[in-house]
Amino acid sequence: MINKKAFKIMVMSTALLLLVVCLSYARTDHREYKDATPAECRDCHGGAGIMSNHGGPFFVKEHRLLAQKAGSNCADCHQQSFCLDCHKGGNIDSDLRKSLSRTGEPMPTTHRSGWISIHPIKAKDDGSQSCYRCHEARFCSDCHNKIRNKGSMNIKSHQAIGNTQRFVFTADHAAEARRNLQSCQGCHPDAVVCSQCHNMKSGKPFRSR
Amino acid sequence: MRLIRLLVILLALACVPLFSYAAEVKMTSSTQYLWYQDYVADKGQDEIAQYLRLNVTKLDKEGKINFYSYGRITKQVSSSDDVQGRLYYGYVDYRDVFKDHLDLKAGRTFVNAAAVSGTMDGLYLDFKNFGPIGVTVFGGREVIFQDKKEIGSGNALAGGSIYLDTVKNTHVEVSYGKTYRDSEVARENVGLDFSTTPFDITNFYGRVKYDTKAEKYNELLFGATLAPLKDLILRGEYYQSYPTFDAASIYNIFAVDKYQEKSIAAEYYLTKNYRVSVKYAKEDFNGDATADVYEVGFLAKPIKDFTLNVSFEKRNGYAGQLSGIRLFGQYRIDKASILAGIDYDDFRREASREGSAKKYWAGINYEFSKIMSAVVRVEQNYDYNYDHSYQGYTAININY
Repeated sequence: MINKKAFKIMVMSTALLLLVVCLSYARTDHREYKDATPAECRDCHGGAGIMSNHGGPFFVKEHRLLAQKAGSNCADCHQQSFCLDCHKGGNIDSDLRKSLSRTGEPMPTTHRSGWISIHPIKAKDDGSQSCYRCHEARFCSDCHNKIRNKGSMNIKSHQAIGNTQRFVFTADHAAEARRNLQSCQGCHPDAVVCSQCHNMKSGKPFRSR
Repeated sequence: MRLIRLLVILLALACVPLFSYAAEVKMTSSTQYLWYQDYVADKGQDEIAQYLRLNVTKLDKEGKINFYSYGRITKQVSSSDDVQGRLYYGYVDYRDVFKDHLDLKAGRTFVNAAAVSGTMDGLYLDFKNFGPIGVTVFGGREVIFQDKKEIGSGNALAGGSIYLDTVKNTHVEVSYGKTYRDSEVARENVGLDFSTTPFDITNFYGRVKYDTKAEKYNELLFGATLAPLKDLILRGEYYQSYPTFDAASIYNIFAVDKYQEKSIAAEYYLTKNYRVSVKYAKEDFNGDATADVYEVGFLAKPIKDFTLNVSFEKRNGYAGQLSGIRLFGQYRIDKASILAGIDYDDFRREASREGSAKKYWAGINYEFSKIMSAVVRVEQNYDYNYDHSYQGYTAININY
């Protein structure tokens, strides 16, 4: 049985040691490596460390954790325009890989060909959260509210009656709304259409949270 | 009026070095002519854009005070729309206000934390190197870009974080952020991030983001990276998200489902110039709604200055099917960089349209000198909406 005094000394010494180790740490300034290529970076960061995914095949999706660290090294090499040209549609460095959107702004390369048709599929990946990292919710309604002939959109949960603006809600619509509620906002920013059926008079309440 | 103000500010700031200690000015200008198909207006559009990035560095003797700015003005020549403008950022960056202990950014700047991100007109402070601990604090008017201009007023964001950087590349950070819409609190989040590399071959990372208004975990992420060989990197990840809405949104009363994704990925460098990558993700939208996503990629640099990149993606399940291949190459000859690519996607949306989309594109960047270069990019699309849709741009870039 270790006596209390010895135990206290052990705890205090361990804490002191940890403190010394922590205090002796200093972050490396990477500004002098600014012109290095990712291949050269791997000379130091070849393992599973911080550099492993920099410029890698999945880096576009994975970089946000690194970029959102307080005190990250990103600014040692990159200007903010490097971020904003992708996230906010700029093009000062003329990245030739990027296509133009319907508004003439360059889109990140994650936006595939035929993007207007394909985006409802790709937007589902990661629960649509990656869309909202660059776009406000009103970005969707800006386009969807102007769509000519909305009946042709053929949304699974509500099918148009002929080529009209009248819709029939299918049995799927409750489940679809729960899975894709953020996309409902795209056409119905104020949800007035929901309350036409779901109101106190109809006796069809929402199944709330 | 806003545009004139923007130009006056940029020009005034360009004069700052005249009154400063041996300041260095670096300017990048890109004058572009663009043409593209506007799906909503149902017509082709032509546009002129002028980008300007102005950096004035070493404003003080020690080179700690710098100014960075970047903006754009555009005019659609094929419509009667007004000239539109954006100031992406314009801030003074003062490093080491107190030696090694305080960095400051003042003006319009982009802030990025787990709890809140955005562009703001305000102040960012980083109290750093207090042992392994640092603290950031920021806040200001939030700037939202939409339709090629700034919109809204009464928006603001504020936040901060406490972070610990210590041995084994360990970073632990707790962040807090709030956004305001029309002066009312719209979102309030708390984020916890961690990353550590206990051994050279292993890295663990994660994130927890909690929406305090909705009282829900908005995001959970846990992952591990393993490099059993120098040229092999394996990754496994679990991700979960739960949609939340602005506090005033009617959508807050609706029930929603969480989204879950489990993924594994590998990348392997066959040699220094050849790399293969594979990834598989299982997406779960709750109930019987799931999807499988497979990705395979190949990168080759068979000769000097030539890079070839091929990737294939296949997605099956909820929301639709997608099979797509993307191929692009890049070659540098003397002063010219030439890039070209082909994309082909076959898609099938649930209960809706199906078809294929093809994209052929090519571009060249020619450097006349260190100061001046010219860019041309053209692209032809064949897809569900267009028999063919031609787009591109040409640019004259100046750097000095």
